[in-house]
Amino acid sequence: MPAPDTLTIAIFLLTVALVLLLVLRPGLTASRPGKVLAFVVLFLLPIFCTLIGTSEQIEHTKQTTFCLSCHVMEPYGRSLMVDDPHYIAAAHYQNHRVPADETCYTCHTDYTLYGGVHAKIRGLHHVYVQYLSTPKQPLHLYTPYNNRECLHCHLGARSFEESPTHMALHDDLVSNQMSCLSSGCHDTVHNVAGLNSVKFWNGAKP
Amino acid sequence: MRMPQALEVRLRISGIFVLLGLIIEAAALRWSHPTAFLVFALIGVPLQSIGILIFLYSLIAVRSANGDRSS
Repeated sequence: MPAPDTLTIAIFLLTVALVLLLVLRPGLTASRPGKVLAFVVLFLLPIFCTLIGTSEQIEHTKQTTFCLSCHVMEPYGRSLMVDDPHYIAAAHYQNHRVPADETCYTCHTDYTLYGGVHAKIRGLHHVYVQYLSTPKQPLHLYTPYNNRECLHCHLGARSFEESPTHMALHDDLVSNQMSCLSSGCHDTVHNVAGLNSVKFWNGAKP
Repeated sequence: MRMPQALEVRLRISGIFVLLGLIIEAAALRWSHPTAFLVFALIGVPLQSIGILIFLYSLIAVRSANGDRSS
């Protein structure tokens, strides 16, 4: 369970205490300082709390546990534990090439809440499907995987830049003309359909 | 100076809504789940907004009541 940071808790507690004071003693607002206090406590502080609360909630949505809390994502969580270095997502997760607590978000930075307007509308659709409908199987990305998600870490890295294959295809990869996940390259990502026939690593689970 | 009864009642109601909103928002922050996000956005924030709107309305209402009295 993620803990909101101490400052956020302190601001919420302070606001609750002051609101409680005004609820119990509304007569305090008869004086001028009391009116200022009421304005701060019943207008400014609640808005501030909502803003920092929203920011915290958005941070929560980046967490691996948040993504995997939807039942439909369970196989994708399991795919991170596959004991096979050819599974790109598993290799990145297990070797901490991506932060373990933000694994999904690190490779899907343009997904739902974090993408453009269309992505945000899709995010609302996910909420609808999660609570009121059933997801269509198999799950798939709305748009082809963008190489930018790989290149924001790998571009400029020695292991990437010194690879003859990467160098030969450099411009095509950077311009997204050719996908990093093309057949014959890094084409085993989550591969959830094949999870029943693979070995799993017994390390730290997401 | 004694406050008008109606203003006291409105401030209390406003405070109770804001308080409920704050408690729900704070509880939602302790939980990392899509439902927590919905509880925060669809229950906590609206309750707080209602409280704030009642507070703002009470300011306008007391001003207009004073204005009516002075005219």
